[in-house]
Amino acid sequence: MSVRPAYDDEESAGDSKRSAKEPLMGVGPLSRVTAQAVTQEAVVITHEDVDRAHDRVRVSAARAQRGVFSRFRLLWLLVGPGILVMLGENDGPSMLSYAATGARFGIGFFIPFVVLTFCMAVVVQEMTLRLGSATHRGHAELIFDRFGPFWGWFSMVDLGIGNFLTLITEFIAIRAGLGFFGVPPWAAVVGALAFLCLAVITHRYWTWERTLLAIAVFNLVFVPVALLAHPNWHSVGRALITWKPLPAGLSKDILIIVLADIGATVTPWMLFFQQSATVDKGLTKNDIDLGRIDTVLGAALAATAAVATILATAPLFAHHMTAENFQAAEFAQALQPLIGRFGAALFALGIVEAGMVASVTISISSAYAFGEVARRPHSLNLPMAEGRTFYSVLFLCAVTAGAIVLIPGLPLVYVVLLVNVVAVLAMPPALVFLFMLANDREVMGDLVSPTWANILTTGVVVFLTLAGILFGISVIAPNIFAFLGGK
Amino acid sequence: MPSEDKGHSSISSADQELVLSSLERDQLAGLKKQLIPRRHLRGLEKFVLWSLRIYLLFMMVVVVYQVWIGMH
Repeated sequence: MSVRPAYDDEESAGDSKRSAKEPLMGVGPLSRVTAQAVTQEAVVITHEDVDRAHDRVRVSAARAQRGVFSRFRLLWLLVGPGILVMLGENDGPSMLSYAATGARFGIGFFIPFVVLTFCMAVVVQEMTLRLGSATHRGHAELIFDRFGPFWGWFSMVDLGIGNFLTLITEFIAIRAGLGFFGVPPWAAVVGALAFLCLAVITHRYWTWERTLLAIAVFNLVFVPVALLAHPNWHSVGRALITWKPLPAGLSKDILIIVLADIGATVTPWMLFFQQSATVDKGLTKNDIDLGRIDTVLGAALAATAAVATILATAPLFAHHMTAENFQAAEFAQALQPLIGRFGAALFALGIVEAGMVASVTISISSAYAFGEVARRPHSLNLPMAEGRTFYSVLFLCAVTAGAIVLIPGLPLVYVVLLVNVVAVLAMPPALVFLFMLANDREVMGDLVSPTWANILTTGVVVFLTLAGILFGISVIAPNIFAFLGGK
Repeated sequence: MPSEDKGHSSISSADQELVLSSLERDQLAGLKKQLIPRRHLRGLEKFVLWSLRIYLLFMMVVVVYQVWIGMH
């Protein structure tokens, strides 16, 4: 193996050549693909590698120690992508969907249904964790390489459109949430963009991840809001066990809520984000078990926040509040007489947090994917000088989406709910790529998906496709639902 | 990326050692420019991918129609 040190010092260069002859610590399933390349071409060691190596040293040190404390420290070092992707997906439109669900249907079928959607999300996201840990490649990169640019570009267009639409709705959420406190729209957007800059300014994955984790946990602010709404816990328990009461009749509006709630937990950007973040964090196949805990933990936290949001707005059930009021943050205003000014303020802050965290994760998901496809450096460990393309894409997406939200009179309200619907519709093709990659022995080695995971994934694909087809029928031929006894 | 390589000049030999001893070979950023060989798609796989592509395009038209109805 020939390693070209990226510096001019002769003595240091000699050290590097010496160390290059020593075997590397671990070898992934892709090594036989890349080993040939290593012998043919000199490799530049970058700052990105150095930062990642420092993180891995801490993981290795924690793993080498015994005891409960060391196990918790190891878990602490390895959590991140799973929690961030799940709490990141509890974004502006998602929290709107849950709020609309609670206001429209109260406590009933949708509480266990939302928990089920998070179970689906765990099944799907676990595959991205395995893919990233086994291959050390991002999702977009793998699709392009393994299936070629034809299918790769289809996948990227789906991701690009979905991410950009979702990003717009995150800024709508931020604007609406801060609007509750009297903050003007332009200040809300500028504040959100400043937050995005601060989140990545350290050019260090670890710092970014820990900062965002601390803020993302604020998503649980919906729990005290739910408690202030004094839900009927007997009804909650009964709903979780019996899935009742069911929504009355089958209509287009109910299907939109169903699809929006599914889209609030499983979306294409999550696949790309978690796999790229897993790679950027430097997780290896030895970390997969704890990575699974990270993913399940994230799903549990996000499901708690989601159910709490439904419970928080359930008192509005009698008032028939609808999503059309979201732009003016009227969910929070409508809740104020029921849960007080403090509770309403917490609700509005929760919406702001949801939009802020998701605007960061979704922008980064786009930047990762672009870097992978364009073969440009793509890592949060990159200094600005080395990652100009990565940071430019990241900021360009965010600034454009923020600017669109400020255009006066733009009819964005209805699109907020439909963004989640679009996400659900785009999921089956994305999941098939994921399914094929996770079963590709040439890139996954022994980490290919087990049979049970394949059965569950197939079930998720069929479920999402059928839900999409039902939605399509409800739009094209709404009379069919009336014929079947619906509205 | 010649222009972006300028920033690497500050990497010390100790850090080089650290990278080589701590990271798996596939994790080196420089190696990620190498393409992974393309796989051959079987007939069933192509059928599924095309079916879902048509499904998605059709559903996007439905969504646009739905938005149009919602706005009017």
